[in-house]
Amino acid sequence: MSHRKYMKTLRLDDADLRSRRAFFELRDEDLARLATLRPFAEKHTDAIVDAFYELLLGHPETRRFFADDATIRRVKHAQREYFLGLFQGKCDLAYVEDRLRVGAAHERIGLAPRWYLGAYRRYLQLMHDRLFADLPEAEARAGFDSVQRLVFFDIALAVDTYIAANLDAVGRHQAAIRELSTPVIRVHDRILLLPLVGAIDSVRAQQVMDTVLLRVVEEKAKCIIIDIAGVPVVDTKVADNLVKTTASVRLLGAQTILTGISAQVARTMVQLGVDISAMHTLSNLSEGIELALDIVGKGITSKSRLRGGAGGRPAKREG
Amino acid sequence: MRGSIPILRIGDALLATVHVELHDAVAEAFQTDVLTAVEKRRTRGLVIDISGLDMVDTYVARILADTGRMAKLMGTATVLVGMRPEVSATLVRMGYTMEGVHTALDLDEGLALLRRLRTRRR
Repeated sequence: MSHRKYMKTLRLDDADLRSRRAFFELRDEDLARLATLRPFAEKHTDAIVDAFYELLLGHPETRRFFADDATIRRVKHAQREYFLGLFQGKCDLAYVEDRLRVGAAHERIGLAPRWYLGAYRRYLQLMHDRLFADLPEAEARAGFDSVQRLVFFDIALAVDTYIAANLDAVGRHQAAIRELSTPVIRVHDRILLLPLVGAIDSVRAQQVMDTVLLRVVEEKAKCIIIDIAGVPVVDTKVADNLVKTTASVRLLGAQTILTGISAQVARTMVQLGVDISAMHTLSNLSEGIELALDIVGKGITSKSRLRGGAGGRPAKREG
Repeated sequence: MRGSIPILRIGDALLATVHVELHDAVAEAFQTDVLTAVEKRRTRGLVIDISGLDMVDTYVARILADTGRMAKLMGTATVLVGMRPEVSATLVRMGYTMEGVHTALDLDEGLALLRRLRTRRR
């Protein structure tokens, strides 16, 4: 996701910016003070950035983000820009957008928030030490106070970016899973099969039901086999949904066959008190297919019987 | 209101096609019409086609299910045909599974089911 998209996702506009600034108590005089500290910042940039990367490069888990010297040079340069950016005396939407770019870059390379926050602590300490060393105490305290406000404002933006990026990823994965989650297959004339794999939540359960009903009508199916061999856990919600799907399919004029119920699932269903008497339940898919064929008036016959000619009768399902 | 839903005869079965919204008076009249027809014509089966209904509320669902059960008491099997997927999903969600009424995908299927039910009884 680009930082522009983050601006939109986080709904960062003038009103939001005002509200954020008010909450972080980031006043215009803070920005003005930071602008006057610009010469101080320029004097210390290199030293602070170097000390900052000492921490990042000294820790194995953060060290791995810096593959070679060229990368280190590049990020140090970016860091200098970032550092001086704090002393621009500006905090408008352009500033926010720039900060989101940084957050988005961190998210993209997979730098976890803990390293980001830990590094920021070092940053504040470096600034604190130098401010108090260079300036009279009152001025240093006021300067550090302003720096802190802006830094925390930045941190909030970065954390929001992290969260937005993760939510976005989760959303995309869910969409992908939804597309793959209800593959209704036409097994034979008027027989459908839905193999369910993976955990079923209420959204997916709803989708399963809708898809099944639509496809039954579309295909004029006589029966639909739902194979749940790939569903690890059947809880009350899933069981309830299966019962509802069966009842709805019946209202359409078709039948549901449930197959692939494991011992564990069977135990759970009985213990949950799910009434599955209205469903055809069979242990495995092949039996399900045989029953389905029986329902549409067909059957599976072995070839030898066919060759046997008049004497042979088509094999019939037992029971 | 009587007669607003036509009831036709196909072989020894009756066909009622519901194409207008069934509310209060129409629904009552429909039930009376169907039962009168069942009584008068000594039919063996009744097909109610609801493919024209986009929406079925609990009241209509009860009328349909009740009509089916009443017809059954008079020796006539009822098959409900052509229910739309969204209708069936809504009914089941509201707890209406219409037990005791046969269902089929469309009119042809419904008539075939009636024939099968009859041979089974013999």
